[in-house]
Amino acid sequence: MPKLIKNGDIADNLYTWQQDSEAAASDTAIVPMSKWLAEKESIGPVAGIWIDAGEGTEALTDVDLNQFAVIGIHFPAFVDGRGFSYARLLRERLGYKGEIRALGNFIPDQLGYLLRVGFNSFQFNEDVNLEKALVLHKSFSTAYQGDVIEPRPMFLRR
Amino acid sequence: MYQYDAIDQQLVDERVAQFRDQTRRYLNDELSEQEFLPLRLQNGLYIQRYAPMLRIAIPYGMLSSEQLRKLADISRRYDRSYGHFSTRQNLQLNWPKLEDVPDILQELTQVQMHAVQTSGNCIRNTTTDQYAGVIADEIVDPRPYCELIRQWSTFHPEFAFLPRKFKIAVNATESSDRAAIQVHDIGLQIKKNDAGEIGFKVIVGGGLGRTPMVGVTISEFIPRADLLTYLDAIIRVYNQQGRRDNKYKARIKILVKALGIEEFRNRVEAEWVHLRGKESTIPMSEFDRLSSFFSEPAYESLTNNPAELTSKLANSAGFSRWHERNTFEHKKPGYRIVTLTLKKPGQAPGDATSDQMEKAADLADQFSFGELRVSHEQNLVLADVRQDQLVAVWEAAKEAGFATPTLGLLTDMICCPGGDFCALANAKSIPIADQIQQTFDNLDYLYDLGNIDLNISGCMNACGHHHVGNIGILGVDKKGQEFYQISIGGASGNDASIGKILGPSFAQEDITRVIQTLMDVYVNNRTDEERFIDTYRRVGITPFKEAAYAKAN
Repeated sequence: MPKLIKNGDIADNLYTWQQDSEAAASDTAIVPMSKWLAEKESIGPVAGIWIDAGEGTEALTDVDLNQFAVIGIHFPAFVDGRGFSYARLLRERLGYKGEIRALGNFIPDQLGYLLRVGFNSFQFNEDVNLEKALVLHKSFSTAYQGDVIEPRPMFLRR
Repeated sequence: MYQYDAIDQQLVDERVAQFRDQTRRYLNDELSEQEFLPLRLQNGLYIQRYAPMLRIAIPYGMLSSEQLRKLADISRRYDRSYGHFSTRQNLQLNWPKLEDVPDILQELTQVQMHAVQTSGNCIRNTTTDQYAGVIADEIVDPRPYCELIRQWSTFHPEFAFLPRKFKIAVNATESSDRAAIQVHDIGLQIKKNDAGEIGFKVIVGGGLGRTPMVGVTISEFIPRADLLTYLDAIIRVYNQQGRRDNKYKARIKILVKALGIEEFRNRVEAEWVHLRGKESTIPMSEFDRLSSFFSEPAYESLTNNPAELTSKLANSAGFSRWHERNTFEHKKPGYRIVTLTLKKPGQAPGDATSDQMEKAADLADQFSFGELRVSHEQNLVLADVRQDQLVAVWEAAKEAGFATPTLGLLTDMICCPGGDFCALANAKSIPIADQIQQTFDNLDYLYDLGNIDLNISGCMNACGHHHVGNIGILGVDKKGQEFYQISIGGASGNDASIGKILGPSFAQEDITRVIQTLMDVYVNNRTDEERFIDTYRRVGITPFKEAAYAKAN
């Protein structure tokens, strides 16, 4: 079974990231957000949806997100930082409590920031060594700004 | 100035450990070139034409003498005994070894310094007026606000991979703008509202580079408590909606221009509604804490124009000249602000040797409470010099090569490192600066010409701010040859404007002739009291253009 990093450990990847919007949905599939929005009355149970860079989270404003076990956010390139804002909005504005999974071309050196904006699962590309990535699965021990883990900035804690 | 506590220190220490590990993995081929690139850039490390370049942060230009001595020491041991002060108040080392950089960063932490976010597509060093805290017409000291922004922007988890770099500058006077806030991604003008509350006029979408633009006002007044939530809102909109398909169209100015300021403002307001009043709202206690680091030094109770000063002014033309150009009025009687210029023939503008850095640190200890500032114009500043000690400072500055009495004049140029160092440059810029220094060496003539900003960039990235020079020189590549395009009419202060290109570019050997011609047109057309920029604005580009190309035609 393919592996990923979830909640700080290497774990089995129980879901399938469906990049093809023509593929048949199932309760283990992470389907494109646009597909789910278009077909939500008929699509049936899915594991979750994934958001592509450029799509934003606005279309999810009136959706009950906690019906999803997982929401994926795709990084087309690791320097494309849009997903950092999306994760934060899912957690802080839309109140999503489930798994937020990074997908695509992000790299282990970004884990510190990814954790702080609300990601808790990381489906790396196949060439990434998960044991080595796990070593980088931590943020600095303190931070100036508030974030998803600790909303109070340092000036409220100093 | 700001002093680290255990938290600040821990963060820079952890950053060094992180970068040491990243460098090790890169050198072991565990991290690809492509992956290491943005990571090293966020630590200020470029790979340049001949060697790496390390850009060390000098937050809002403030330096203690101890820090400057450390920079001198580092540049001597790890580099070629000099450094280059940049327009954004940082220090660049041109010849460090990649494998030494973690050690350099570690040494910097010993004096509470770092190279965090001095490059890369993230929020860069916040800059301000080099006279902050010591001039009379300041609304409040901008430095506590700069430090607030520094901390908020440092390792901001959401904004480390923006579409492009992001620069913020703060100005706290209404009569002048030495921080060039209108040509930054965000410019903050500190002001007080009718109720006497402190806040910010927020300007957005200014910038230089390939598409120079003067910023536009997005808000006339943001209360200071709301500053960080408002900045978060602006940058969150930019992070999601700024262009990422073309690096030359990725700055926030392109988004603001494409949407129009009304629509951009609406989007920011829509975001801000959710953030305003939340945890990132700044409590009074934090303003008090930050302000406490910038309290006044132990000024003596003195009067202006002591006898030591007035007699020397009467007796020495050289001192008098230096005093007129290179010193500035201080808010306290009996004190004066002194600029140590880093502009003299034979030295690249903004460069200082290790010996000069140590000398400047000594002068700061002896005459200015042990602190210095770096200016946007690439000079060093002693902010608190007693007027009865100005002669002594002048003598020492002359000896160290800091006393070229040309601050603000034609030869006080802003200049990027150019093709001598930079891998991006199309042409060299330092030899052009040197040529101008050598040619325009008559002080009486320079004084007669008065205030002129001449800025030189070696390429379109505009690190030398050529667009906002009264005269701008831009290096261009013309079929493999280095040529120079000249523009006139730019300005970076309160009356910021983008210069207009004179016409076809010139060969290197023609530059000084063209500058001379432009000066002649100015002198022949000016009225009393008119600066170069005023004459240009009155008569327009045509007479300058006709004269510059007269020979060729």
